[in-house]
Amino acid sequence: MFLNETQEEVRNTTRNFVNAVIRPAAEALDREERFPSEIYEEMGKLGLFGIAVPEDLGGPGFDTLTYAVVMEELSRGYASIADQCGLVELISTLLVRHGTPEQQKMLPDVMSMKRKVAYCITEPEAGTDVSGIRTTAVKDGDGWVLNGGKIWIHNAPVADTGFVLARTDKEAGNRGMSIFIVDLHAKGVERGPKEHKMGQRASQVGALGFSEVRLGPNALLGEMNRGFHMMMSVLDKGRVGIAALAVGIGQAGLEAAVDYAGTRKQFGKQISEFQGVQWLLADMAKDIEAARLLVYSAAMKIDRGLDATRSCSMAKCFAGDMAVARTADAVQVFGGSGYIRGFEVERLYRDAKITQIYEGTNQIQRMIIARELLRKGATS
Amino acid sequence: MKILVPVKRVVDYNVRVRVRPDGSGVDLNHVKMSMNPFDEIALEEAVRLREKGIATEIVAVSIGVPQAKDTLRTALAMGADRAILVKSGDDVSQDLEPLSVARILAKVVATEKPELVIAGKQAIDNDMNATGQMLAALLGWGQGTFASAVRIDEGSALVTREIDGGLQTIRLKLPAVVTTDLRLNEPRYVALPAIMKAKKKPLEELALADLGVDTRPHLTVVSATEPRQRQAGVKIQSVDELLSKLKNEAGVI
Ligand SMILES: Cc1cc2nc3c(=O)[nH]c(=O)nc-3n(C[C@H](O)[C@H](O)[C@H](O)COP(=O)(O)OP(=O)(O)OC[C@H]3O[C@@H](n4cnc5c(N)ncnc54)[C@H](O)[C@@H]3O)c2cc1C
Repeated sequence: MFLNETQEEVRNTTRNFVNAVIRPAAEALDREERFPSEIYEEMGKLGLFGIAVPEDLGGPGFDTLTYAVVMEELSRGYASIADQCGLVELISTLLVRHGTPEQQKMLPDVMSMKRKVAYCITEPEAGTDVSGIRTTAVKDGDGWVLNGGKIWIHNAPVADTGFVLARTDKEAGNRGMSIFIVDLHAKGVERGPKEHKMGQRASQVGALGFSEVRLGPNALLGEMNRGFHMMMSVLDKGRVGIAALAVGIGQAGLEAAVDYAGTRKQFGKQISEFQGVQWLLADMAKDIEAARLLVYSAAMKIDRGLDATRSCSMAKCFAGDMAVARTADAVQVFGGSGYIRGFEVERLYRDAKITQIYEGTNQIQRMIIARELLRKGATS
Repeated sequence: MKILVPVKRVVDYNVRVRVRPDGSGVDLNHVKMSMNPFDEIALEEAVRLREKGIATEIVAVSIGVPQAKDTLRTALAMGADRAILVKSGDDVSQDLEPLSVARILAKVVATEKPELVIAGKQAIDNDMNATGQMLAALLGWGQGTFASAVRIDEGSALVTREIDGGLQTIRLKLPAVVTTDLRLNEPRYVALPAIMKAKKKPLEELALADLGVDTRPHLTVVSATEPRQRQAGVKIQSVDELLSKLKNEAGVI
């Protein structure tokens, strides 16, 4: 109802691919913690990375709402794969907005996943509080020298290029950080082992170390010392993406639960005939729909150039909390089976938890919502 | 070579269809609709022939309600160069019968002059399996139905047909009508950029009235009923029990 014909068509197309290729592969990818190169290659060919990259830069040029629709559908298949799409979207948005024509030349390879990227902010002492980063880039001739380390970086074990936030002015706080495009095969770059995670286990997450890594004059992305603001400026869109991802997890849980409730029999009846089970299903459906509408509204605000910060935080926070609570309900509908490895809902419950943590924890989203409320007033 | 591919908007194959309470047919209100899967195969075959340098233009045509434009947009995204919608009315539950559709397509063929028409062997809504055959008859063209392989070769088409008990390969002089079976190919997924590009491709609209085709129905639907609900299976404990059930209950051995 909210989607136009093109968005509907994108949804159908993505859904067909997800049903045929992604959803059937999710269980094994989770079990093996495997990076699905072959699926990413195919997704690259289908234009499922870099959804909003404009046509003149080689992308399909869709709006944020279409991006959200793609994220939900991909995540309905497998959240790890949606998260890769979200990561590429963030990086390509940075490149489109702030890259020089020379730097933008990497976009086709980024969108085909020939070049795997990583978005590197978090450090041991700097999680929620990004201003605590200790990685430094010091001017050296016409380039820079990078020193420091990052942790929990998605794609770190496999990535070719890192977009690294580093301190370039010790005194200037948030106005003293810059983004550098770093060749992760260069001398002085070290990769930590792959972390073993609770969920989204096909996503390869790990640490990166930089010691005396030489960066050329083309390594700086955008303006010097504006890195923090540039990273933050793409976060609105990032949050819509993660919110949509959370909706997709919830939706997959609902579909599985409705199917199961219609087949499992106890006391001589399908369990879907028990009101106790029906109410679980109804609560799942209504919260998923509410989260989806928050996602659409936040995306539409971005597309119309309206102030979207509050909506994006609401969508991310609500959808993340919803996904955790409602996949727990899906497990409940399955009873003991829902707790057993190999059943989709068991994985969905584990995959959901991180949506309350990354892309700004849900505590931070609430902080942003409250700050916006108190600053701009309660009327929206 | 120009190829014409008729595409029909039908109930999506994933939808659990419901019969209208008055038994007059399937309820098509608020139901997800998609391109008939056999027509996707037809379009894919046309696109492959163009990729091989054999076809030069692919025209998709749909006959139906204005919403069939969505189906044509999908056809354009899948690779058709142009699309034609013949608007037959506004009522989504109205369906033209095969002879009417074939007559309309014959008119379109007369103006478009394709050398090949590739159609689905049947639409998954009514399973008539007649339009392609009727069209060939009206045009006086050869027909290769239930194709599982198509090769174009010096003014003729070699069509491998899936027939009872095996395969039959026939040679048709072009122009001809081919209808597709399931194993002809596996349609590709539409790439997202192609959806954007499809918006810029031409989509022409014709009114059925302007074609001067007689579409008076010859068929009346007497009643539509739901299939019988499948009974749950039984679990058996041993081979002996299976044998006894096959012998005494099913009576098959
Ligand atoms: C699977 C995974 C993938 C990741 N991918 C990336 C990536 O690709 N790139 C990247 O840079 N980072 C990545 N991260 C890191 C992620 O963004 C951080 O974990 C997140 O920002 C939280 O930081 P933290 O873990 O240090 O928690 P902390 O900041 O230490 O927070 C701990 C707790 O304190 C709360 N808290 C902190 N400050 C406040 C406050 N002011 N008010 C109220 N509560 C507060 C938090 O909400 C949280 O509950 C990833 C993490 C994981 C687990």
